[in-house]
Amino acid sequence: MAARSNAPAVAARVVLYVVLCTAAALILLPFAWMVISSLKTNNQVFTAPVQWVPDPVRWANYLDIWARSDMATWLKNTAFLAVTVTFLQVLTGSFAAYGFAKMRFPGRDVLFLVYIGTIAVPWQSYFIPQFQMISGWGLNNTFWAIILLQAFGAFGVFLMKQYYESIPDSLCEAARIDGLSEYGIWWRIMVPLSVPAIASLTLITFVNTWNDYLGPLIYLRDRELWTIQIGLKSFIGQYNAEYALIMTGSVLSVLPIAIIFLLGQRYFVEGIATTGVKG
Amino acid sequence: MTTTVVDHPAGPLGRPGAAPRSTQPWHRRPGDRLKVRNALIGWTFILPNFLGFAVITLVPVLTLFYISLTNSNIFGTATFTGLENYVKLASDKSFHTALLNTFYYAAAHIPLTIVVSLSLALLLNRKIRGAAFFRTVAFFPYITSIVAIAVVWNMLFSPEFGPINQFLGLFTDGELPGWTVDKDWAMPAVIIVGTWRDMGYYMLLFLAGLQTVPAELHEAARVDGASAWQRLWNITLPCLRPTMFFVTVMITIASFKVFDLILVMTDGGPGQATLVLSQFIYNKGFVQFQFGYASAAAVVLFFICILVTVVQFLYNKRKEA
Amino acid sequence: MNRKIMTAVGTAAAVTLALTACSGGAAGDAATEEPAGPVTISMAGWDLAAVPEFQTLADAYHAANPDVTVELKEYPAGNDYDTALTADLAAGTAPDVFIVKNLKNYITFQAGGTLLDISDVAAELDPATGGLEAMAIDGATYAVPYRQDSWVLYYNKDLFAQAGVAEPDGSWTWEDYDKAAVALSAAFKAAGSTATGTYQHGWQSVVQGFALAQSDGASLDSGDYSYLEPFYEQAIALQDGGAQPTYATVTTNKLTYQAQFGTQQSAMLPMGSWYIATLVKQQASGEANAFEWGIAPIPQLESSTAGVDNTPVTFGDPTTMGINSAIDEAKVAAAKDFLAFAAGPEGAAALAAIGITPALIDDTVTETIFRLEGVPTDDLSKFAYTTHETLPENPVGEKTAAIQTILGETHTAIMSGSVPVADGIAEAEERVANEVG
Repeated sequence: MAARSNAPAVAARVVLYVVLCTAAALILLPFAWMVISSLKTNNQVFTAPVQWVPDPVRWANYLDIWARSDMATWLKNTAFLAVTVTFLQVLTGSFAAYGFAKMRFPGRDVLFLVYIGTIAVPWQSYFIPQFQMISGWGLNNTFWAIILLQAFGAFGVFLMKQYYESIPDSLCEAARIDGLSEYGIWWRIMVPLSVPAIASLTLITFVNTWNDYLGPLIYLRDRELWTIQIGLKSFIGQYNAEYALIMTGSVLSVLPIAIIFLLGQRYFVEGIATTGVKG
Repeated sequence: MTTTVVDHPAGPLGRPGAAPRSTQPWHRRPGDRLKVRNALIGWTFILPNFLGFAVITLVPVLTLFYISLTNSNIFGTATFTGLENYVKLASDKSFHTALLNTFYYAAAHIPLTIVVSLSLALLLNRKIRGAAFFRTVAFFPYITSIVAIAVVWNMLFSPEFGPINQFLGLFTDGELPGWTVDKDWAMPAVIIVGTWRDMGYYMLLFLAGLQTVPAELHEAARVDGASAWQRLWNITLPCLRPTMFFVTVMITIASFKVFDLILVMTDGGPGQATLVLSQFIYNKGFVQFQFGYASAAAVVLFFICILVTVVQFLYNKRKEA
Repeated sequence: MNRKIMTAVGTAAAVTLALTACSGGAAGDAATEEPAGPVTISMAGWDLAAVPEFQTLADAYHAANPDVTVELKEYPAGNDYDTALTADLAAGTAPDVFIVKNLKNYITFQAGGTLLDISDVAAELDPATGGLEAMAIDGATYAVPYRQDSWVLYYNKDLFAQAGVAEPDGSWTWEDYDKAAVALSAAFKAAGSTATGTYQHGWQSVVQGFALAQSDGASLDSGDYSYLEPFYEQAIALQDGGAQPTYATVTTNKLTYQAQFGTQQSAMLPMGSWYIATLVKQQASGEANAFEWGIAPIPQLESSTAGVDNTPVTFGDPTTMGINSAIDEAKVAAAKDFLAFAAGPEGAAALAAIGITPALIDDTVTETIFRLEGVPTDDLSKFAYTTHETLPENPVGEKTAAIQTILGETHTAIMSGSVPVADGIAEAEERVANEVG
């Protein structure tokens, strides 16, 4: 990858950056609009034509939102749920994925299809029976409901399984000959080798739990249990909506994820997965 | 539907997918006890996730199959009506419209998103300055509130005041598209936004997969004088096959299930121009309380997804073999 | 292998059904309470921080009946209220008393056996209570209206004066309204302003609600929707003539009626009476501009119902309250008494004090509302507020929800110009015949 400093390579690099920067600006446009709207009053948010510069700039929204809502509680609840769910999903998902990818037993493929099959069923068509069941256990209106709901999804199993399959079986065989148990192979070989997949599963699960709306909506009634998405939606009343505050809250809720992503993306570095192969 | 076309399926590392039976150690040794032991160990891996999955997801999904054979309205007792709901679906014009629109969306969204997100991943997998920043930017649409996305894109698409039509107006004097408020343009508009929103998400999955492509393979090919295009075609894509399979299946299912984006962008309109299956199911279930009927539509959606997935599964197996 | 799967499916389904059956019965097991002692009844409301009406009613009732406490259970606002409440009703975890927020769903809640027959409460209420009559299903009533907003015409007196156009006098038909809207727009344009004569929001009800209420013999169930035609022709003409922002702009730019009327972008606004309290509040906080405004009766289709010596016809769905059929028997009497209170004159007075229009509008209510700071006090506004025949937008009927979904799609198709008016309506008729039967 070392850049050779001749003219065409430099030109190519310049073009690359121009393209990347333009694309980035276009991609960030909705986010920019969110930020701009968060500095307006409600009646200024939606206008035709669009008003791109807020006048006057209303920084007060960023103070108001803490005073007028339970933003701190929402953030705390959401963070708790996102961390717990992500931890369980990654742990059980990658564990089960090893069984599907590297073990061989009757019924394995059928079972796996069942996993994928449930992904294909839209949640809004079966959440009522699910809610009846979980309420029957007395877990509605508790965090347990959300944790149970999100932590054992088929998605993580599928993602990790596909990744494990790209790790050569010869590695496992060698480890077996060395006397490592299957659990040892999973922990000492597969987990370290699948860091990029774990990173993406972590990010995706975290974001999905963080932004989940319908789950908390159905299960969490008490104000103390509300998550950020439920809280933000409460700014939309029956006849009136506090759009400026919604945008303020949305900006605040995106920032933690953006930071986590910025930190997490460094695990997508070429070579991590293959270092083990060479050794 | 996959874009993987491979000339040399076996790389130096052996096959990336599941190996044929004969290479597995326990098949070379005879003895049923070992098989049983392996099955037991396999199950211990799967069980922690499977228990949660079976109880929380599988059981309600199976209930749904039963409900689809009744006239349930959510409350009270339901009567078993056999296949009546399915017969009714067959002649329901709204259902046909929703089905066609869903196929329309999927047919465009699946290839478009795969190409865009894979290109992004390849572009940003390199060690360039600012890669972290650009990766984060690409992921932003996925984490931005869907309400903000709908609002901004609707504004951009606004036929009278929108920047997109103002830009297009520079090149043509003809009639400009009405985008989200035009029955012919609403679906393309939604597809564009759908792809824009999902590209960072699938880029992330591709990025993870790209880390399994051994750098020394590229190096060796470069020495042999292979062009960048040849290396992509003959090394990167074959090594990426498990990820490609995963992404294709996930995009396919997600496209057939698309719901919230369309709900906030166009609410299925104008008329029924962007009415998709998930919204049809939601309308029947929660607006009109025909829960049995909605469940039947969900089961149809399920079988469509399964059918497409199995085809992809078999295609993948054949390519691996 | 197929048989194996099917067996597994069968077993699992049976397990769930058993589980759900158990959970459904849980509510009935609570110990019977002493009828004389203190009673607590739970009630569903939404967004309690921003919507004070539930707490107001609960407090007012507790003050009059110290033995009974009404405890609120919070639900999300908007359509999510129905989704969350539906889940709770299905699982047997819903509170004793709940609001039937959308009239469309009333019949389903009733058919599903979730509502207690409260015909005795309804019989006690003032027959003048708005929307009460329409709540009867086969002679029995299962929910009573406690608030009812009606649609009126808001107008900006300053803008009318500026444009030199005569203000509404209470005798307007839609033709008069159109003329005024066109004249206002022309005057604004001449003065270099982008303001429009009127603002009709993008909702289906803005066109169809009036059409259904005012057209002779119009009925949702009839399957004949030709009555919509003149109303759509009018709406299209208004937007084509620039007298009102186009539907495309309203939806793609997500225009809000509060901003359009409150910041003087439009001189007229047909809207529900709930907007009175909002506008007063927004003018006080500075979110809306300071200007003189008034409310007039909504324009009529026929001049026979127009004028201050007639009763103008408008529409509006009542918001109603019902009792969960799974309620503990010991609490039924208290719950019924609370409903009679909330829908009666005392409840009405309590609601009016916070600027909400109750279903029962008597002199006390009118006085209370018009005493509120910032509410216009001219005679026409008072007339418009108190005198109207308000018909439901969603008449109680089994097919209403399904028909309204189809007509909603017709609305977006016609307003966006995707189909000509007559074709759109013909298509709706065909679809209702095909899909609703």
